[in-house]
Amino acid sequence: MSKDLQMRAAINQKLIEMGERERLKELLRAKLIECGWKDQLKAHCKDVIKEKGLEHVTVEDLVAEITPKGRALVPDSVKKELLQRIRAFLAQHSTL
Amino acid sequence: MKMEAMSLSGLDNTKLEALAHDIYSDLVEDACLGLCFEVHRAVKQGYFFLDETDQDSMKDFEIVDQPGVDIFGQVYNQWKNKECVCPNCSRSIAASRFAPHLEKCLGMGRNSSRIANRRIASSNNMSKSESDQEDNDDINDNDWSYGSEKKAKKRKSDKNPNSPRRSKSLKHKNGELNNNVNTDPYKYNYNSGISYETLGPEELRSLLTTQCGVISEHTKKMCTRSLRCPQHTDEQRRTVRVFLPGPSASTLPDVDAVVESDGYDVSDGQALMNRLQWDGSSDISPSDSASSKASTNNSDSKKPKKKKKPSLGLSSSGTGGTGGGTGGGPGTAGSGSSSQGVLSLPSRKKKPKLPAPPTPSIYDDMN
Repeated sequence: MSKDLQMRAAINQKLIEMGERERLKELLRAKLIECGWKDQLKAHCKDVIKEKGLEHVTVEDLVAEITPKGRALVPDSVKKELLQRIRAFLAQHSTL
Repeated sequence: MKMEAMSLSGLDNTKLEALAHDIYSDLVEDACLGLCFEVHRAVKQGYFFLDETDQDSMKDFEIVDQPGVDIFGQVYNQWKNKECVCPNCSRSIAASRFAPHLEKCLGMGRNSSRIANRRIASSNNMSKSESDQEDNDDINDNDWSYGSEKKAKKRKSDKNPNSPRRSKSLKHKNGELNNNVNTDPYKYNYNSGISYETLGPEELRSLLTTQCGVISEHTKKMCTRSLRCPQHTDEQRRTVRVFLPGPSASTLPDVDAVVESDGYDVSDGQALMNRLQWDGSSDISPSDSASSKASTNNSDSKKPKKKKKPSLGLSSSGTGGTGGGTGGGPGTAGSGSSSQGVLSLPSRKKKPKLPAPPTPSIYDDMN
């Protein structure tokens, strides 16, 4: 198990060091905006804010409300593409 | 250990897959957090709701879907049937006709001056007074007589058949308007003011000195264009001046003089100017013509006009050699020579005699 953990840590580190993580992050953001995910979520935010009152909204409130919905709303195509890229990276750099 | 840790060959695919999913989840969560921070900051800074309009304004600008009205709620032909009151004449005019009416009412704009001049001309002709030739000359671009075509058509029924106001439209519509037209040839009774019968000899002469005056076969009206109008040749102008009594004698003195005499400074000068005008040649400048009288080649030039080129060559010391067509060459010296040379120019019109009847009278004044 610890091997797994170590391996994971190592891979994450590699991901970051090679800049791949940043690239993946930007790719995801662009795709989400493109598909309208961001607007959907923003509309949801408005509802939450109106509900809670403009003055008293906190980050935690927002995070708690938004994140689960956000995860659910990601379109399948985006998910698949991202997974594909991650796997490719893993396959490429897992063995050193 | 590291080597082992790094090696994934021992890992099965599920773990790999799980790993990939974990990485993916992390990324998505990062995105969500990013959005949350963005929104929270916008809320706290107060610009979160700026891109929305309030409900009241939304209602004001809603899309209108009624018949007869566009999506803004405006009626598109609202002003079509409205009537406006003219500030000038205080009449009620339809909106679509308002602009042309105003143009005429105020007397500004292109047509109004034309119409006014026409009216003046025709009223002058009716009263047999001299019409305002110069103004008409400036304004008339076409070969029209003093009656207006449009007005003539409308007023046919109004006027008696012999009134001068009858149609200039007759000009080009011989067949159609026969019933209205005096079919007698050469009975220049038609309006257009330019019926020589209505003009006295003085008026006629002055008319011929300023205008082309050629009588149109179709309409029996005299051409009101300038003396150099391209529609008529000098031959025709001369014919008219010969045909009509009185004016011819006074209008073309130079022509006679040139043909008959060899040199006659005054007439030469006039002939020169006539020629200048008639040929429209720009070669001879006014100064040249003025100086022509003082030229030294007078003696050489005195030849009958009939010789076109040779005379030119002799006159003006050979500079006029090319003058045959151009008006005697530029700067031909000597009134006599130059005039002779110039005289030859008209040759292209077959006859040396020159047209420009008005010029003599003009130069008479100058002299």
